[in-house]
Amino acid sequence: MMKNRNTPPGDLAIWIFIMAELTVFAIFFAVYAFTRANNVELFNESQLTLDRNLALINTLTLITSSYFVVRAVAAIRENNTKHCFNWIIAALFMGLLFLVVKSYEYNHHYSQGINLRTNKFYMFYFSLTFFHFMHVIMGMVILAANAVKTKAGNYTPENHIGLETGASYWHMVDMVWIILFPLIYVMR
Amino acid sequence: MYKAIGIRPCTFVYILLMVLTVFTWYVGVSGYGGLTFALLVLGLSLLKGHLIGDYYMGLKAVSGLWGWVIVIWLLLPGSLIAIAFYSAS
Repeated sequence: MMKNRNTPPGDLAIWIFIMAELTVFAIFFAVYAFTRANNVELFNESQLTLDRNLALINTLTLITSSYFVVRAVAAIRENNTKHCFNWIIAALFMGLLFLVVKSYEYNHHYSQGINLRTNKFYMFYFSLTFFHFMHVIMGMVILAANAVKTKAGNYTPENHIGLETGASYWHMVDMVWIILFPLIYVMR
Repeated sequence: MYKAIGIRPCTFVYILLMVLTVFTWYVGVSGYGGLTFALLVLGLSLLKGHLIGDYYMGLKAVSGLWGWVIVIWLLLPGSLIAIAFYSAS
């Protein structure tokens, strides 16, 4: 593919925001890893109580959602507003599914008396995943706004920067989970 | 390769991301641990992040620093996590 632009897709302001968000997550990840280095047994034992199957479902769900958003942007570039709208709605549905599965996980832990104060691992588990959870909600709000504007015919093949902006944010949410999933659920 | 089998690049990347995710999950449920598997899974995750940056976020078509911004970000926490797991092994 030719490198045909100097700035990333979407509003440049969202990319400044994305970099700020990613920096915060990077610090979180590093602090988790170095805290684990001093508490390996505790982290490994606690990690075994997590449901990796639900984590797999949620990872596949977010990847699929991101793919749907890519297709939505492609559809508007091909001047197909109806398909664009449908892809965004499908992405929103996948986002909702992620929230439902994650809420089920939280409820399961709380029903077993596990919370932020149980130990250091769970403090990171709840903090990191809930911080990400809030970003999923934020991303869904932006995508919903994109869907409304798409339905209203505000995006064209020549001008759809708002949709690209929402898409960039949503992919950031996906990418953070891509790192979070192995770090919290798998690496030991 | 995706051109040869007639699918969009994003669809090819999507399938690859799904396969790599299932492999990561398999490593987890199979109980594989230790530094080697931790770094393998971490490396695959960084690759997945790079694919999302290039093909989903569209950075493959961007020249200059913005085109590398996600790679740089991935390498930052990625290297710190690797150092932490290495020091714990």
